[in-house]
Amino acid sequence: MAMAGSEAAAALPEFIPASVHDLPAGRRVLIRTARFMRKRKLGAFGVVLVIVVLVAAILSPVLQRYDDNRQFVVRNPSYQAAPSGGGNILAQLQAGKTANDVSEFVTQRFESPNGAHWLGTDSFGRDIYARIIVGARLAALIGIFASLIAVTTGTLCGVISGYFGGLVDLVVQRVVDGVQAFPALVLLLLIVQVFKTPPLWVTIAALGFLGWATSVRVVRSAVLSVREQPFIEAARSCGATDIRLMLAHVLPNVVAVILILFSIGIGAYILAEAALSFLGLGPQGVTTWGKMVEAGRNGLDLHPWESLFSGAAITIAVLGFNLAGDALRDELDPRLRGR
Amino acid sequence: MGRYIARRLLLNLLVLWIVATLVFFAVRLLKGDYVNERLGANLELSANNPVAIKQARHELGLDKPKWQQYFDYLGQLARGNLGKSFETRRTTWTELGERIPFTLELGTLIALLSFGVAIPVGVISAVRQDTWADYVLRGFSILSVATPVFFIAIVMTFITLKYHLFTIEIVKAPHFWTDPRAAFFKYLIPAISGGIAGGAGIMRLLRSQMLEVLRMDYVRTARAKGIAPNGVILRHALKNAMIPVLTVMGLTVSGIIGGQIILENMFGIRGVGNYLLYTITNRDYPPFQGTVIIIAFVVVTVNLLVDIMYAWFDPRIRYT
Repeated sequence: MAMAGSEAAAALPEFIPASVHDLPAGRRVLIRTARFMRKRKLGAFGVVLVIVVLVAAILSPVLQRYDDNRQFVVRNPSYQAAPSGGGNILAQLQAGKTANDVSEFVTQRFESPNGAHWLGTDSFGRDIYARIIVGARLAALIGIFASLIAVTTGTLCGVISGYFGGLVDLVVQRVVDGVQAFPALVLLLLIVQVFKTPPLWVTIAALGFLGWATSVRVVRSAVLSVREQPFIEAARSCGATDIRLMLAHVLPNVVAVILILFSIGIGAYILAEAALSFLGLGPQGVTTWGKMVEAGRNGLDLHPWESLFSGAAITIAVLGFNLAGDALRDELDPRLRGR
Repeated sequence: MGRYIARRLLLNLLVLWIVATLVFFAVRLLKGDYVNERLGANLELSANNPVAIKQARHELGLDKPKWQQYFDYLGQLARGNLGKSFETRRTTWTELGERIPFTLELGTLIALLSFGVAIPVGVISAVRQDTWADYVLRGFSILSVATPVFFIAIVMTFITLKYHLFTIEIVKAPHFWTDPRAAFFKYLIPAISGGIAGGAGIMRLLRSQMLEVLRMDYVRTARAKGIAPNGVILRHALKNAMIPVLTVMGLTVSGIIGGQIILENMFGIRGVGNYLLYTITNRDYPPFQGTVIIIAFVVVTVNLLVDIMYAWFDPRIRYT
């Protein structure tokens, strides 16, 4: 496509663009996107799912219809107002009335999906749809920030370890080996248990630490191959300092790897957080999908809605981020497949 | 090769020491120790009985300075002694001895299912690229990678309960060698869900590797020589496609152990994963530390074995 020289380009009428690069920026992005959607159908599907999750996360106050902690109640049809003077519930129970008759309101527990509660209600009479929408916000927040932490710290250590080599490299790599010798879940358990009731940021930081080890390893191996390139030597012979070499010459050449690490990690962190929440060790005081799956386990055959819908939400979100991440990797650097 | 293995063993020892150190200090960062987590609640040793608390800490050796505890622990470790449980006063080895059979049973089943299914399925998917079989298998594996292991188990449990397929035994603890029928139904759901979660990634990787290898010149040569198609696929293509898959297998083992913590917890299997969760919530340090070190030992050993197997799959790799 590239024109041989400026004369050839000038000879062409101006309205025929020589390549995508000559188009105005807006249309260029549009064409690139269309091409991506056509070439990577699965990736495009993933991007759509990611957009759905992100829209749910950002617009959750608008979309959730009810507060996620509101307990729905209905007037008890079999309620009989206590005779005046005998308002004591205990006295009424002793007078032979059942628990069903003495309370004016009852919680709408375990409703099946209906017009008022699109996905039904849970054991506390809370709207499952509202909780799933709020859960999307948590999942997106945890996935993206954990991945961000993992990638930034991992890049820092990976570039230093790969660039300097020697003793620094040996020490960093053995620590990475040590961290990776723990099964991921055990390490998470350990970090999260430092706090009796882990707040959200602890969960995010723990997931980020876990991803740190992987990021260091991958970034380091990318740096090792960049380090030997002639342009690094050329820059060094011009008197560039180590810091300048790392920031201006090594780092820009491993950006693709970093982007891939970031996008592929998100799904994995959402899954890991779900596992922690499922075990009851997730972030406290917030509604997460993993907790909902666990909460819905009792009486699964009678009212499976909470577990099934929240579990499906996890799968959809992770599927979206995975497919989008895979497509990005194939686009930027197919050699990284399977790392 | 011998020298390579010796060097790797030494490095593994170093890694195990790092793990032992990490877990020792991590555990001591946790809020509360065994005395106020368990004894405090059980024996009313709460803040109003400082003498008893002091006595209990002294008996468990928790009142010594941290560095002294650390060196005691390393010394014991070097002699293969993993310490005694604060709770039962039995050695970690005894405690684990009762639990390892359960974990091995489930772990073996999961590993067999994930590798045993993923490898043929990955090969079929690649050989029959872009047929309906390929689409179905790929769709299934992409979905399985994105699904948490506990959700697969929950969906299977739901179907079983809804249609009264069989009774899921939670309380009893049968072994395959004591009560094979009961054990089969106890392990059925956890093994299949663990297997699906573990195998899906392997299948996807193997498929893409097979596709790459099948396009190689030497595969075409083998076909041209007149070798039977299955021989080409198994001997020439699969063997080469397996090399990157092996790396992932090492990681899969670590993933299976993590999945077991959840599955053992869900299905009342009294294995190592369950014990790990129990000891850490009780702040029972010695058995927790010991279990983590043993798991780390398994993980690094598997990784070493994987590296040795590389040489068998790819004779060009020579370790020196």
